[in-house]
Amino acid sequence: MKQLIKTFKVAFQALGKNRTRSLLTVLGIIIGVAAVIITISAGEGATKQIQDQISGLGTNLVMIYTKTEHRGGSHVRMGKPINERDLDILQKNAVWMSKISPLVVVGVQAIGPKGYKSSAIYGVSHEYFEILNREIYMGNSFREEDVKSSRKVCVIGETIREKLFLDTDPVGRQIRINKIPFTVVGLLKEEGKGTMGQDQDDMIIAPYTTVQNRMYGYQGGYEMILASALSENHIVNAKNEGLELLRESHKILEGEENDFDITTQVELQEITGNITGILTILLGAIASISLLVGGIGIMNIMLVSVTERTREIGTRLAIGARESDILTQFLIEAVVLSFVGGAIGVLLGIIGNQVIYKLTNFHIPTVGYSILIGFGFAVIVGVVFGFFPARKAAKLNPIDALRYE
Amino acid sequence: MPLNNVIETKNLSRVFSSGEIKVYALTTINIVIKKGEFVAIMGASGSGKSTLLNILGCLDKPSSGDYFLDGVHINKLNKNQLADIRNKKIGFIFQSYNLLSRTTAIENVGLPLVYDRTGRFSNPTEIAKKALEQVGLGDRIYHKTNQLSGGQQQRVAIARALVNDPALILSDEATGNLDSKSSIDVADLFVQLNNKGKTIVMITHEPEIAQFAKRMIYLRDGFVLTDELIKNRSTKESALKDLEITVQPS
Repeated sequence: MKQLIKTFKVAFQALGKNRTRSLLTVLGIIIGVAAVIITISAGEGATKQIQDQISGLGTNLVMIYTKTEHRGGSHVRMGKPINERDLDILQKNAVWMSKISPLVVVGVQAIGPKGYKSSAIYGVSHEYFEILNREIYMGNSFREEDVKSSRKVCVIGETIREKLFLDTDPVGRQIRINKIPFTVVGLLKEEGKGTMGQDQDDMIIAPYTTVQNRMYGYQGGYEMILASALSENHIVNAKNEGLELLRESHKILEGEENDFDITTQVELQEITGNITGILTILLGAIASISLLVGGIGIMNIMLVSVTERTREIGTRLAIGARESDILTQFLIEAVVLSFVGGAIGVLLGIIGNQVIYKLTNFHIPTVGYSILIGFGFAVIVGVVFGFFPARKAAKLNPIDALRYE
Repeated sequence: MPLNNVIETKNLSRVFSSGEIKVYALTTINIVIKKGEFVAIMGASGSGKSTLLNILGCLDKPSSGDYFLDGVHINKLNKNQLADIRNKKIGFIFQSYNLLSRTTAIENVGLPLVYDRTGRFSNPTEIAKKALEQVGLGDRIYHKTNQLSGGQQQRVAIARALVNDPALILSDEATGNLDSKSSIDVADLFVQLNNKGKTIVMITHEPEIAQFAKRMIYLRDGFVLTDELIKNRSTKESALKDLEITVQPS
């Protein structure tokens, strides 16, 4: 034990005597560890952001939509469109769903007093806002009567307000959507960019009846039906219920496949979780390779160092160092290098995360386990790659080593 | 065996074999060196000087025959025990000093104490300082090796050989890299240390330096050719005078 402490001192002295070399050696480890921490954290950050947005989609969301298929890069509707009949059946019979809203979307041109913008109008029921947790910042959402009598009222997002009204209050004022006058009854609370980078405030929301009856360009059927399950525990029930009712409504026989899709928020979360999980592993693997390269760098420099210090090793052996003393000394040197490199790398990784946040506004929370992986891997790399040069040094024959030129 | 025999070899031989060829580097060497002796080992290149020194210094083991160092039968020791014996009983001095570069004199001198496992040195720094004072470098303690002249560096190395209070000081061509004046200084330092009771064995091919010793062993082809006491030992003064004579004609 006492000998180990002395050897530690010797190793530290040796490192201090070769500061430049030591620094260059740890550089690889520093970069490797920082890369591991940043990539893993970035992956986790992205996952969390996506998960947050999905859970922000609305509690207990169930979505029913027409089956689509990718054909030549575009979505093609495969089954029977979801329509009024389906909505009616769901509204009348569903017991596990508390709120139901259809969704129709039409691309429009909106003109306001101060400007215009191309956007999309979302035709929905008054329950849509609750299903998707969209809050109203000013004014109100429209009511059931508005839907029933297909009134020309709408709720707009912040992006639309900015283009059409500049700095003024939009509530109660008129805008023209595809030349049809609408009254703005409410302004959505700002949401910012969505998961895929889409602007969630670039939308106009109006009663679906109004969109169906009055908007030019409406193609019939619904994009989808959105619903809320009674509670989190009933999401599966709601899904199964939706399946049953829709199969009945579409007259699908037993054994036949559905011509529609039904997804819940939970499933969505699982899918994206899987995707981002793979992404994180991939990024981490790439970063690990750089750490491996750093480790080989350590081995390289240590091997050179052993050759360069052959005479020193010979001298140490001659004056009474045991093989184990030399082995420990060189091993400690390698491990200390990787420790220091690891520590600096961790620091750099944390700082890097902050810098990325400042520059891109993409928040990367430094994940605890990324530090553990990065640092742990660095130390393992140090021990493994430090061992071979250390053993080479210890196995030197003192007679030859003393005469080494 | 009487304990005042620092070195005792019995029919010591060392054979190097590379493949079929066998090289007899040393053959039946019988040497006894007592405590307090100052022995010069001479011989041409290939005479077995270095092989003998390696065995005497416990860096190598004989092929046959026995070697006793300060009463310890070296043949029976394993690698670690050999390392410990070197640390405890031998002070090495090399031709090219073999000091750690970019390291202070005192750190270099203290190096053998780092590997001491007996715990017999309670204050390494103080002991190292004393050793440096003994070789006349008391004012250069914190100088780094590259700030010292060749002669000074060799004296640091001598201090390093003294620091563990060894039974035997082994010098391998200690003056080989030095100019005549520094060589005489180093040889004189050996004489002073010997006067204080240190047992010294030095290998040299310079007769002038060997002349400082009390006894000379001459090797040829792995055998001891002559082993006799030196009658007219050189002193620092006489050697310096000789130096002047040889210089003057030019």
